[in-house]
Amino acid sequence: MALSDYQRDMEGCSRCSSCKWVPFNQIKSWRFAKNCPSICRYNFHAYSGSGRMIIGLSLLTGRSELNDNVAEIVYKCQLCGACDTACKVYRDDIDLTEVLLELRAHCVEQGFLMVEHMAMIDALKREDNVLGEPKAKRGEWAEGLPLKDINRERCEVLFHAGCRYSYDPDLRGTVRGAALLLLEAGLDVGIAGAEESCCGGRAYELGYRGEAENYAEDLLSRVKASGARILVTPCADGYAHFRYLYPRMGKELPCEILHMTQLLDRLVREGRLRFREQFPLLFTYHDPCHLGRMGEPYLGDWKGDKLQRPMSLKRAGRKGVYEAPRNLIQALPGAGLVEMERIREYSWCCGAGGGVHEAFPEFSSWTARERVEEALATGAEALATACPWCVRVLRDASREMRAELPVYDLVDLALQAAGIAEKERV
Amino acid sequence: MTTATLDTWKEISEAAYQDLENVVGTENVSREPAVLDGYAWQPTINDDPAKWVKRPVAVVLPSSTEEVQEVVRICNRHGLKFKAFSTGWGVYSGPTYDNVVQIDLRRMNRILDIDERNMYALVEPYVCGAQLQAEAMKRGLNCHIIGAGPACSPLASATSGWGVGWDGIYMSYGHRNLLGAEWVLPDGELLRVGSSDSGLGWFSPDGPGPSLRGLMRGSTGALSGLGIFTKCALKLYPWPGPSRVRIRGLLLDAKAEIPENVRFHLCFFPDRNRLADAVYRIGEAEIGYLATRTAVAAFIYTFAPHLLRRIAGTSNLRDVLSKGTKWGFVIMLVGASEEEIDYQDAVLRRILADHEGLSIEAMGVPAIGSMVFMNFFRVTAIPMVFRMGGLFSTALDRNDTWDTQLDWAEIGESIKRKWIERGGILDDLADNPFMALYESNMWAHCEEIFQYDARDPKHLASLEPMFIEFSIAAIEKCMEPLSATDARLRKLVSPLMGHYNEWQKKLSGALDANRAADTGMYCDEIDFDFSKVEPELKAKLDRLTEKFRWTEEGPPS
Amino acid sequence: MTEKSALLEKLASVVGRENVTDDEGLLSTYRRGGAVEGGEPLAMIRPGSTKEVRELIKLARAEKYNLVFSSSAPPRLRGDSVPRGEGIIVDMSRMDKIVRLDRRNKVALIEAGVTYERLIPEVDKLGLKVLMPLLPKRGKSVLASCLEREPIIIPKYHWDMTDPMLCTELVFGTGDLFRTGSAAGPGTLEQQWAAGAAQKNPMGPAQTDFVRVVQGSQGTMAAVTWCSLKLEVKPRIHKIWFVPDHKLERLIDFTYRSLRPRLGDEWLILNAYALATMITENGQEIPELAKEQAPWTVIYGVSGYEYLPEERVAYQERDLSRHAQQAGVIPVSEVPGCSWKKMERILAAPSPEPYYKTRPKGDFLDIFFLTTLDRVPGFISVMEDVASEFGYPRDRIGVYIQPIQQGRNVHLEFTVYFSPEDRGKGRELYEAASRALSEAGAFFSRPYGIWSELAYARCPDTVRVLRKVKEMLDPDQVLNRGKLCFTPEEVS
Repeated sequence: MALSDYQRDMEGCSRCSSCKWVPFNQIKSWRFAKNCPSICRYNFHAYSGSGRMIIGLSLLTGRSELNDNVAEIVYKCQLCGACDTACKVYRDDIDLTEVLLELRAHCVEQGFLMVEHMAMIDALKREDNVLGEPKAKRGEWAEGLPLKDINRERCEVLFHAGCRYSYDPDLRGTVRGAALLLLEAGLDVGIAGAEESCCGGRAYELGYRGEAENYAEDLLSRVKASGARILVTPCADGYAHFRYLYPRMGKELPCEILHMTQLLDRLVREGRLRFREQFPLLFTYHDPCHLGRMGEPYLGDWKGDKLQRPMSLKRAGRKGVYEAPRNLIQALPGAGLVEMERIREYSWCCGAGGGVHEAFPEFSSWTARERVEEALATGAEALATACPWCVRVLRDASREMRAELPVYDLVDLALQAAGIAEKERV
Repeated sequence: MTTATLDTWKEISEAAYQDLENVVGTENVSREPAVLDGYAWQPTINDDPAKWVKRPVAVVLPSSTEEVQEVVRICNRHGLKFKAFSTGWGVYSGPTYDNVVQIDLRRMNRILDIDERNMYALVEPYVCGAQLQAEAMKRGLNCHIIGAGPACSPLASATSGWGVGWDGIYMSYGHRNLLGAEWVLPDGELLRVGSSDSGLGWFSPDGPGPSLRGLMRGSTGALSGLGIFTKCALKLYPWPGPSRVRIRGLLLDAKAEIPENVRFHLCFFPDRNRLADAVYRIGEAEIGYLATRTAVAAFIYTFAPHLLRRIAGTSNLRDVLSKGTKWGFVIMLVGASEEEIDYQDAVLRRILADHEGLSIEAMGVPAIGSMVFMNFFRVTAIPMVFRMGGLFSTALDRNDTWDTQLDWAEIGESIKRKWIERGGILDDLADNPFMALYESNMWAHCEEIFQYDARDPKHLASLEPMFIEFSIAAIEKCMEPLSATDARLRKLVSPLMGHYNEWQKKLSGALDANRAADTGMYCDEIDFDFSKVEPELKAKLDRLTEKFRWTEEGPPS
Repeated sequence: MTEKSALLEKLASVVGRENVTDDEGLLSTYRRGGAVEGGEPLAMIRPGSTKEVRELIKLARAEKYNLVFSSSAPPRLRGDSVPRGEGIIVDMSRMDKIVRLDRRNKVALIEAGVTYERLIPEVDKLGLKVLMPLLPKRGKSVLASCLEREPIIIPKYHWDMTDPMLCTELVFGTGDLFRTGSAAGPGTLEQQWAAGAAQKNPMGPAQTDFVRVVQGSQGTMAAVTWCSLKLEVKPRIHKIWFVPDHKLERLIDFTYRSLRPRLGDEWLILNAYALATMITENGQEIPELAKEQAPWTVIYGVSGYEYLPEERVAYQERDLSRHAQQAGVIPVSEVPGCSWKKMERILAAPSPEPYYKTRPKGDFLDIFFLTTLDRVPGFISVMEDVASEFGYPRDRIGVYIQPIQQGRNVHLEFTVYFSPEDRGKGRELYEAASRALSEAGAFFSRPYGIWSELAYARCPDTVRVLRKVKEMLDPDQVLNRGKLCFTPEEVS
C-alpha cells in the first residue's frame, strides 16, 4: 500500500474534529475530555488525526511539499489510535491509523527520517531488538527457570517476552514472574531465548515496512516448529502486531494468541491459579493502546468503496482486550478498581508509542504525566497496567511528578497475589 | 464561496510574521503550508465543489484576550486580515481572502465560572458543548447543544454562528442564550457586552441603554467578520437528572442508564395537519425538554446506512418507510419531580389521542431507549450525518412558525427528490428535515439535509445548482435563505429585505476602518455565476427579485 | 411668521394641521418625567403612518429638529420622553391599530399607540393573554413598554430581554425604513401571512439585530412604528399564592428553588409597603395595611392550561409546597387586605387612575436596576442606609423584586414616596441613593436621567461603540438629542 491508496480516506475527512475528543457519549468532565496527545500538546490542527490526513492530501495533490517540519509533525504522534476510534464512531470509510502509518512510510521513502528512529532500526537490524542490546543476552532473563527451549523442543505454550521485558532490568522480575505464573498453573511453556526477535511492529510503525515482514516470517516458522497451541506475550505491542499486523501481511500465526492478562484471567477463572495474598489497595487501570483498541484483531480487508464495507470488517477498537485485565484486578483479594474517565477504546495513551519516547522524550513524558494526573483524580492508590512500555513511562512520570502513585504491571500483582513472588525471592 | 486556488496566495511578510511570533511565541505560530492547509480544507456545508478554501498566510494560537488583541492589531498594521477559529465545524471557519491570519483559539479553553444559582457559565472559545454539559450536569444544570453536535463550541455558536438545536424547546437558541460577551473589535480594542463591561458581572447582556448584542449578530452571527469573541456568558438550564449518565459503549453500541425522570416518545401521526396541530398543542402545554421532527429514514441512514441503501432500492419498503412513517415526531420529557414527569407524560398521551398519534415509548424498550438517549441529550449522533456519503449539506430557510417550517420540509423534499433521481445526491428517501422548536414553539426551525460523496464528480456538480434552487424556493416562500452568509446570496437577497447589508457594511466600516476582519461571510457581496443554472430557474429568480425588491416605500405590495 | 408658527407650519406639512399642536396643557406633561426635569417641548405632532414618520425624520434632518417620540399617555414616569432642552414631541398615539391577532401562533401585530388597556380585551377574546409588566399605567403603550425593557411579571416567559416583543418596523434617524426579525421579508406582511408566517422570529434579519440596538435606546436610534408581540395561552385555571415571611433570604431561597424548574407563572417579591400600595386604592390606609403585612411577600401564580389543567396545578402546587417546606416558608391564599382573587385581578390589568404609586403621598420616584437575586439583600441595605441619612423611614421604601430571564437575574426597584411639595427632598434622596447603589454595583441597564451618567461612567468601551452606532443610525442627532451618552458635543 502507499499513501495514494488512501486518498479517498483523506478526501473523506469532513473536518468535524471528532478525532480530537473522547467519543462524546463518554465525556465526563471538562478536564479529561480530549483524546489525542499530539494536538493537545502542539495545538495546530495539523497535529490531529484530521490535520494529518489533510497534510497527506495536501502532499498528494501537490499543494505543499514534504520537508523536515512536516515530517516532524508526522512523527510527533504515538500512533495510539485514539483518533481512529473516535473517527470511526461516525465514519465507516476512513481508516485513520492506516493513513498515519502510510504518512510515516512516505516520509521514510522520501528520506525524511528521525535520527533516533534510524538508531532503533539500526539496532533492530544489528541485534534484533529496538533497544540496541546484544542479541546474545536476550534470553538471560529466563536463567534458572524450568522453561523449554523451543529451538530444540516442542511445547504447548510459547512465551514471547518482547524487547523491553527481555532487557529492561527494572522489568526483569516481571517477566520472570510471568513465566513462573504459567509454570505454577502447570503449563508446558517454551521460549526462544536468545533466538527470540523483536516482533517488528515498532519498525512498521516507524515507517520501515520491510523489517516487520521479515520478523513476521521468522516468528511464523518458530511457532510452526514449536507446535505451540498458544502464543502468549506480556508485551502489548507484540500482542497487537501478532493479532493484526501479521495476519494483514499474510503471516497469520497458526495458534491462539493471548496477552498475558488474558491467559492469567483464564487460569484464575479455571482455578488453575489461585490468588491468596491480600491486596487492600484501590487500583485504577490504564488500558495500553496496543492491548486495547490497537489490539483488535485483523478483521479482513475490503477492496472496494469503503462506504459499502461490511461493518464486520470495520476496525474500531471494540474487540480489544479490556475485560481480562480488569477481571484480574477484581480477582485480587481485597483490591478495588476505580476507573479513570478515559478508558477502554478511548483511553489516553501513555506517551511511549510510535517512536515518540525515543525521538521526543519530552512529549512522551508530558503525555504520561497527563495520564498520571487522570489516575490521581480518581483517588486510586495505585495504577495498574499491562504493557512494559506503559509501565516504563508511567512510572517515570509518577516519579517526576512526585506523585504518590505506584505503577504496577499486572503480572507483578498476580505474582504477589499468587504468593509466587515470595517463592522467587526465596 | 471562495474557490480553492493557490494562484494568488502569497507568503506572509517576514516583518508581520516576526510580530506574530513576538506576541504568541515561536511555538504558537506557523506559516508552514501543510499546517496552513489544515485550515484551508473545509468541506462541510461547503457548496463549492473544490472543498479547499483560501489558505491562510499564517495561523496563530493565542492564549489570552490580550494576545488576540495584539494579533488583531498586527493584522491592522500589516494590511492583513484575520479570521477566528474555535472548534471549527464547517466552511464558515475558514478564510475567504488571500491574506488572512487564522486565529485558532484552541488554547483558550477554560470554563471560567459556573454560577449555579443564577444558571449561567462563563466560557472561552475552545470549550466544547460536551464539556460544558458534563460540568453543568454536576450542578444540576444543562446547556444548549447545537445541532452540529457536542464537538462545537457553545461560544462560537452563540456569538458568531447560528445556535440551532433539538433542545430549543426548553433551552432556546444560541443568540438568545447570551448573557454577555467579551469582544475584540476589528481594530483590536476590547468591548464587553452588557453588565460585564461595567465590571458588575456577567448576568445581563444588554445595556446600559441600547444593547450592543444587536451589533454582534442577528439570527446568524458575523462569523468573525466583525471581530473575535474571547469569552461569553451563556445561560444554563435545569437538569433535574443525575450528575452523570452512566453509559457503556461509544455510540451504536452504547447502553445508557436512563434517568427515571426522563421519558422518550417517538410519535407518528397520520398526516401533516394532525402532526402540525399536535405540535402547537404541545407548545401550548409547555411540555418537553427536547423535540424534533425527523424522518425515520434519518435514523436508518445514520445508524444503518447499508440497510437504507437496500431499502432505497426496494420500492415497497421505500413506500412503507417514506409514507407510512412520514409524520414522525420525537419528544423527550424531563420532569423535576415524579409528579411533573407523570403530568407531562399524561398530557402528551392526551394530545396524541386527540390527534390520532401513536407513540413508541422508546424508553419502555430498553435497547432502543438506552441507545438513543445520549444521541438526543448530548446530540452525539449528529456527526453520523457524514456516514452515508462522507459529506452533507443543508438548506436553511428563515425560521418562523411551525407551519412554515413544515412547508419548508416539504419544499426541501421535493427539490431533493429531483436531484436524487438525477443521481446528483445520495438517496436518503428525500424526506430528511432537521427540525426544532424554540421556547415552547414560540418559533421553529427546519433545514433540509442532503448527503453526498465529495469524491463523486456528479455529486460535486450538483451542489451549486441545488444551492440556487433552494435559495429561490426560500425567497418564493417569503423566507430569508439562512445560508445568506454566502456573499453571492447576500447580494441577491439584501435588497429584498430592507437592504440589510447596506447597514452591515456601514457597521463594518464604523468598527473596522482598516478592513482587517475577513468579511467574506459577513458583508461582502459577489455576483452569482449563473452560467450553470437552468435558464428557467434564473428567470424565476429574476421574477422573484423584481417582485420583492424594496422600493423607497419599503416592500412592494 | 414667527419662528414658532413657521415650525408648526413645516410640521403640519407632514401630518396635517390638525395633528400639530403647541397647546401648553399637552406640552407641559413633557417638561418633567420621573426625576428628569427641564424639558422644553416646542410642539407636539401626531403622525398617522410610517410614511409620515419617515417624512418627519427627513424634515428633522433638514431642519435640525430634535424629535422626541412618545407613545404613552401621561404621567411621564421615566423622563425618556422629556426633551433635553428644546424638542418636538412626536406622539404616536394615533397609530393605534391592532393590525393582526393570530390565535394559532399566539402573536399580535400592533402599532405603537396600542395600549394595554385596549389590547388585553381583544387578546382575551381569543383565549390568550398579554404578557405585562407590573401594573403599567393605564395609557401605557405596549410597544413602548417593550422598547423600554420593562420586566414582565411571568419570569418563565421572559426568555430573553427582547421578550415579549418580536419583530419591529423601524425608521432610523436617517429616515430609512427597516424591518427586523422574520418581518424583514422578503415580502410584505400580507405576503408573509399568506405564506404561513406570523413574524415570530425575533432575530435578524441576517447578521445584525437592530431591534436590540433600538430597544433601550430611549428613542435615540430609531422610531418604532409597529411590532409583533408574543402572547401566551390564557390559563383554564389560575390561582395566586402569597408567601409572606419576615426573612427575605428565605424567600430568595424559595424563589431560586422554584424558578429553576420553572414552577409558577407570575412571580414577584414585594416588601410590605409596596404590597400595601398595590392592594388598596386608599392612600390613607397604606401605612396601617403595610404594618399588617409580613415584611416580605412572594406572590406567585399557578396555572392549568388546556390539557389536564387540574393535574398541572396539582403537581405545581405539590412541588412548590415541597420547595416552600425546604426553604422554611408557607404559601397562603390571602394576606391582610388582599385575597388571592383580588391579587389576580390586580396583576391582570393596568393600574387604575391615578397611577398606583401616587397613592401614598401624591408623588414618588423609582430607582431600579438589574442584579442577581442573591445580591438583592446587599442593595436593600444600601438603600435603607441612604434613606436613613435623609430621615426617610426605612419601612416606607417600596421594594419590588422581579425575577427576569427565567430567574437568572432580577429587576430590583425601590420607590420613595413623597408629597408633591417635598419633591426637592425626594429628588435629593433619589440622587444620593442612585449614586450609592451604583457604587454598590447596581447595573442601570435602563439609564434614565442621572443614571446615564452613573452607568456610562463605568463602561467607556461601550460608550465609544454606542457613539459610532449613533453616528450611523442618526447622523444628524435628530432623535431625542442629548440622551444617554449622546450629548451632541461628545458625539460629534
